[in-house]
Amino acid sequence: MKEKKVKKDVIAYRKGCKAKGTGLSHYILMNRKVK
Amino acid sequence: MTGTKNNVINGTAAPSRGRFVNTGNGPTFQAIDIGHPEYVAMIEPDTAFWSLIQRESRTACLSEGGLLKSYAKKSKQFAKEMNSLRFGLKPSAVYFNPTEQCNMNCTYCYIPEKMRRHGEHMPEKKLFAALDILKRYFHKTLPKDSMPQIIFHGAEPLLNREAVFAGIKEYEDDFLFGVQTNATLLDDKAVEFLTSHHVSIGISLDAPAARIADRTRKNWDGQGIFNKVVAAMERLEGYEGWSVICTVTSANLRHLSKLVDFFHEKEVPTCLMNILRCTLPSSRSLKPGDAEAVRYFLAALDRTYELYEQTGRRLPVGNFANILLAIIAPAARRLMCDISPCGGGRCFFALDPNGGMFPCSEFIGLDHFQSGNLFTDDIPTVLQSEPFRLVTDRKVEDIEPCRHCAIRHFCGAPCPAEAYEMNGGMNKTGAFCEFYEEQVRYAFRVIADGKVDAYLWDGWDKGMKTTFNINKD
Repeated sequence: MKEKKVKKDVIAYRKGCKAKGTGLSHYILMNRKVK
Repeated sequence: MTGTKNNVINGTAAPSRGRFVNTGNGPTFQAIDIGHPEYVAMIEPDTAFWSLIQRESRTACLSEGGLLKSYAKKSKQFAKEMNSLRFGLKPSAVYFNPTEQCNMNCTYCYIPEKMRRHGEHMPEKKLFAALDILKRYFHKTLPKDSMPQIIFHGAEPLLNREAVFAGIKEYEDDFLFGVQTNATLLDDKAVEFLTSHHVSIGISLDAPAARIADRTRKNWDGQGIFNKVVAAMERLEGYEGWSVICTVTSANLRHLSKLVDFFHEKEVPTCLMNILRCTLPSSRSLKPGDAEAVRYFLAALDRTYELYEQTGRRLPVGNFANILLAIIAPAARRLMCDISPCGGGRCFFALDPNGGMFPCSEFIGLDHFQSGNLFTDDIPTVLQSEPFRLVTDRKVEDIEPCRHCAIRHFCGAPCPAEAYEMNGGMNKTGAFCEFYEEQVRYAFRVIADGKVDAYLWDGWDKGMKTTFNINKD
């Protein structure tokens, strides 16, 4: 029997990295490195 | 610089230790109904801190206990992160228009018709000179391990293909290159050149069938180009670095879910489904209402999830993925439209074929936003000029109702060009508001249900550190 996932009382998390955003909505270069 | 210091616990604005939520120097937690049966969101807007709390527990979470204590330990770090993201970045990309001309006359284009019909190409010699100036500028301003980006944009950049390809060949060790094209000139040779030089390729398609797609995207004779775009998509199949932009208008709104099916079938790696920009009056005839746009856009997102469940293959919708990232990893966002100040003039700028500099492509065609020329003026001086400052100084804190809005750093009140041209000033909102409110709510539901991975790309959190986790702290 599939185990029922216990819902947490609180969900709160955050991740950090060096900011590198350069995109605007006319173009997309998300996270795909082709080089 | 911003309003953040008053909401960092233990600030000095008042003789208060910040022990309580929503009073004294305590943080301001705004409760948001996210439309989830079990969770509500509590958001501290200035630091973009959020938590999802079981509905019956939400009052307990406001007391002097776990959540507040955990937040207190990190609030300064979060404020610093937001401040750096909003005010500390340098330009690292240029949207480079190598021609004014376009072979298309799309209804919603933000470049004036006269320019697209009768404009000029940038000569190859001048294009090389521009890349050389930019290379020297970025060499001085960016860290050694950072590669600046040049995105050839339009009008239609491949109308000046020889000069563009020669520039890519000559400067491929100095820049990451991208091309945004309508795909009509993306023949076998062009695809071979661009893919072998690792250029990112963006193409445009608005619907899964010619009768809808061709309503808004057509050439000067009124002929649609759907079949040509589909042929180009087939040429690109298997290449990792391509994506498709769909502009969401009243003409294609009802077909977004079918478009998701079509993109998925064609193995499109990533797409954007951008709501129409209403900067120029001609595009406003296609403006959908917010509520209607939300209904179909969210259904399209649901469809990407269903397809992922069925096939194991994702179709990230980049503009939504960016909002999701803005919530869970603010500094990881890639698109800089949904943060204030936006990326225009501070993370990137745009260049017209004469060397004219603009804060963003969206302003090309609005003469009063041109400031300086790459060939004659000093780039740092131009970046500080009044037309650029109008954009780079535009903050949600100065806009009503954004200054009170809990999601102001997940939305960013886009777009300044639209706000200025359509609504009469930089301190106005853009054309859409509820559309962003609902996307943020949807994103929180995705988080509550543990489905984040389904909406982002493989390895999205590679290189990231977890800076907060209430269930582990």
